Amino acid sequence: MDNQLNHSQLITDNSQLTTHKMIQLKNIEKVYRTDTIETLALSSINLDIAKGEFLSIMGPSGCGKSTLLNIMGLLDAPSKGDIRISDQKTDHLSDKQLAQFRNKKLGFIFQSYHLINDLQVLDNVELPLLYRDTTAKERRQLATEALAKVGLSNRIKHFPTQLSGGQRQRVAIARAIVGRPEIILADEPTGNLDSAMGNEIMDILINLNRNEGTTIVMVTHDENMAHKTHRLVRLFDGSQVQ
Amino acid sequence: MIKHLFKLIWNKKKQNFLLITEMFISFLVIFAVFTSLVYYYRNYKKPMGFSYDNVWVINYQNAKKFQSTDSVTQYYATLTAMLKSMPQIKALSFASGNVPFTSSMNTTGLSYKGVSYSPVNYYQTGDGYRDAFSMNLLEGRWFNQQDVVSTYRPVVINASLKEQLFGNGSAVGQLISDNSNSSIKKIKIIGVVQDMKDKGDYLPSGMALYNRIDTGAMRWLGQLIIKVSPDADAAFESKLYKTVANYMKDASVEIQHFSKKRISTNKSTLVPITIFCIVAAFLIINVSLGIFGVLWYNINRRRAEIGLRRAVGATGNSVSAQLIAESLILATLSVIIGTFFAVQFPLLNVFNLQAGIYITAMLLAIVFIYLLVLLCSLYPGRQAAAIYPAVALHEE
Amino acid sequence: MLKNYFKIAIAVLRRRKFFTFISLFGISLTLTVLMVLTAFIEKLTNPVYPGDKNNRSLYITRLTYTSKKGWINSSGSSFYFLTHYAGSLKTPVKMAIVSSNSSSNAYVNNKKVVIDIRYTNAHLWDVANYQFIEGKPYTIDQINRADRVAVISERTRNEYFGEGATVVGKFIEADNINYRITGVIKNVPELEEVFYANMYLPYTVSKKDYRDKGFQGDYSAVLLAPSEQLLEKMRAEYEQMTARIPLPDKAFDTLHSNADTYFETYSRPFFGKADNNGYVRFIVFISLFVLLFMLLPTVNLVNVNITRIMERSSEIGVRKAFGASSKTLVYQFIIENIILTILGGIIGIILTVIILQVINRSGLIADLDLTVNPIVLLYSLLACLFFGLLSGVYPAWRMSRLNVVTALKAQ
Repeated sequence: MDNQLNHSQLITDNSQLTTHKMIQLKNIEKVYRTDTIETLALSSINLDIAKGEFLSIMGPSGCGKSTLLNIMGLLDAPSKGDIRISDQKTDHLSDKQLAQFRNKKLGFIFQSYHLINDLQVLDNVELPLLYRDTTAKERRQLATEALAKVGLSNRIKHFPTQLSGGQRQRVAIARAIVGRPEIILADEPTGNLDSAMGNEIMDILINLNRNEGTTIVMVTHDENMAHKTHRLVRLFDGSQVQ
Repeated sequence: MIKHLFKLIWNKKKQNFLLITEMFISFLVIFAVFTSLVYYYRNYKKPMGFSYDNVWVINYQNAKKFQSTDSVTQYYATLTAMLKSMPQIKALSFASGNVPFTSSMNTTGLSYKGVSYSPVNYYQTGDGYRDAFSMNLLEGRWFNQQDVVSTYRPVVINASLKEQLFGNGSAVGQLISDNSNSSIKKIKIIGVVQDMKDKGDYLPSGMALYNRIDTGAMRWLGQLIIKVSPDADAAFESKLYKTVANYMKDASVEIQHFSKKRISTNKSTLVPITIFCIVAAFLIINVSLGIFGVLWYNINRRRAEIGLRRAVGATGNSVSAQLIAESLILATLSVIIGTFFAVQFPLLNVFNLQAGIYITAMLLAIVFIYLLVLLCSLYPGRQAAAIYPAVALHEE
Repeated sequence: MLKNYFKIAIAVLRRRKFFTFISLFGISLTLTVLMVLTAFIEKLTNPVYPGDKNNRSLYITRLTYTSKKGWINSSGSSFYFLTHYAGSLKTPVKMAIVSSNSSSNAYVNNKKVVIDIRYTNAHLWDVANYQFIEGKPYTIDQINRADRVAVISERTRNEYFGEGATVVGKFIEADNINYRITGVIKNVPELEEVFYANMYLPYTVSKKDYRDKGFQGDYSAVLLAPSEQLLEKMRAEYEQMTARIPLPDKAFDTLHSNADTYFETYSRPFFGKADNNGYVRFIVFISLFVLLFMLLPTVNLVNVNITRIMERSSEIGVRKAFGASSKTLVYQFIIENIILTILGGIIGIILTVIILQVINRSGLIADLDLTVNPIVLLYSLLACLFFGLLSGVYPAWRMSRLNVVTALKAQ
């Protein structure tokens, strides 16, 4: 109920939000080439995502939604087209600059969590801070705060393998938000979880979006989850249909 | 099937390249080890050609000044007579420094019918040398008193030199020339002896030329070889030492036993080769563990593929046979590259060893590499056979 | 950051214990072999007993005549040559003259004792730091009077008189001559070309006439410079002097007599010639040997490392997604590998200590006391780093080039 209310509130503000574009995709095309075959994974995608928006992307398997998310996350380069993130062009960045850009602006959440099993929860959460100029003390403090936000303060010395799926995904969220990025990209964050745990994760993301104003882009299979977000984009065979 | 396997290997060439490199270098290391082992073993199998039991050498450095060659001859003749009167001494001979089991070498070059032969070990020996070492005479005779007056320099050669010079023909009576002197000296062969492995059990005798000591050489010789009866004990040795040292007042004298010298000479050959083998063994264990680990890991990574193969009807044994065959193909590729390099050794005649040694070593190395790789892939292969199709496919 | 790498490295090592075993086995034994080799070379080239002043000493060991026809005649130098020519130099403060070893026997209670004898001058006792267990060296006066006096080694004392006997003033018989013992020294390793012997006698009692005017003989000399800085000056002075010596034998056209450092006395006969001290060739040879030897363990480690890294593709993907650049990741993996090699190195050092003890006790080379000293440790540490870099760079580079998307998908 609470969520629904919020949703409509934001939609009314939509006109205002579009003026602050967080992510702009223009004519994005992605072609995978092997020796013999060319596969068109994405074609002419145009998408603007406003600051503070919570967007979900849906579509059948293999429609290119993960590819699109990877391109937004600068993990993969498009074959054609332009990506601007907070009005900054990204096509000319070097490996080092890209790394810095991702570190400062973006946070990732994956379906299979991708936690480093050899590190304890706290060390996992600290990871993004390792690649910036921070002291060990600062890192510890920020990571503890982030873990508190996802309600895992009592698990910081555990190893990921000692946690349940939902707990692992919460650690992954803590890792994504610890560096206070403006954008969070989530690739089926609830895909490996049962519905109760999925809802828990979803609530955390919604609160994050509402309280911190973080822009969130989420790929999902689940209509229920998608409907909790501000806007839904559907992909089919690499093209935007809605 | 083979073509199918080659395809698999080719498609993973980057990964397999390192494995092949590793097997290739291992092949070369093993080839080196086997070459030296085969070489030493072949030498070891040859007969000693002489007896060293109860043979002693008296080393002396005589600082005595002699007036004339006659007085030198007289001086040593007295010593010889004195020693011969001892019942324990069965035979004796003066000799140049390169007596058996010493590191001292003296070589020369010979020419016969315009062809040069070198290096030929060059020994100065007395008439009693053959008896002292119980050398086997194959042809002709050893030196004796009548050689003093011969026109040519009389020499005895060993079987290796004879084979080089005359093949199966007869050597006695043949004339050859010695290259090492500025004026070429004609020398005449009076006898052939069996090869004498005087550098130790594991080293070849090489070609050898035995010369009769002339009176002029007595001034600088420093070795006297004696064969003693088995009952010659430490008390006798002490007595002998006193006799010699008392007679040669200007010399420092030392007595050594050839049986002991042989042990230390063999030790100095065996210690380096043993160290080499230990180091090589460690390298090979290291490599085999590495290959085992990588194969094992690869099979774990390919669980899905293996599961699929099982699902489409491959039996556990055929899957494991396939994986082992893949490793053996990698081994074959490395062996081919390795053999290409190894063959250069006999072709270019590096280190002057017989081609047979290299070829034996190469064959042994090939067998060894195959066994090694087979051993390393056996267990991972068995593991693969135990993968159930349903489990493997589900994981993906 | 480093702490994080360390944590990860330890965690990875604990996870795949079999691979860790393979890696550590390879690294530790490779480094053990290298360390044992280093300990040998270090002992050979930098002994502490009895040659403790080697950094300001030059050795004159061989005298070689060569002719353009290719003839070579090489031997030691005569006592006359050394005193007359080497003795004329201004720089050296002392010059030890020592004959080559000659073996002699003594028979004690029907047991043979082999004694290696050297004839020496008095400066030997100042140039080398022999440790006297008992008594003292013979003096210049005793040498000039041609007194039959001797300094013997601990071993000869034990074999001749019995373990721990007091022997100064007693007589020892060699070559049927009785020598009065003035002192007993601690054993010297046989590897010491110039200083080793079991019995030292004044050169004046030598059976050969030391006044003989020929240049060749069986003596060597050790020149002692007043300071390390003057070593090269002393060498230059010797070179200038030998160039002016008239050749006594017309059959040859050059005389070579070199004043070498201790190290060069080893490198010259094996790797050099009369006119080349073989130092560079020795270094090249050793480096080549080490590289060849390390080739196989390195390829093996690279192979194992790549396998391990591929296993961690998810971690690589995550790190890249959260802002690690390729370069940072290369550093991380190289540092991890160096941590691994240092761990292997520590095991290697322990193994080396054990092996050196075994070698020392086996009596393979008498009186040689091999030890792991700071210099050996330093070289070993360098070898560790080198090995770690060598085996870490390629896998790290391969890994850093992994595409993020595929790396993340791989799991």
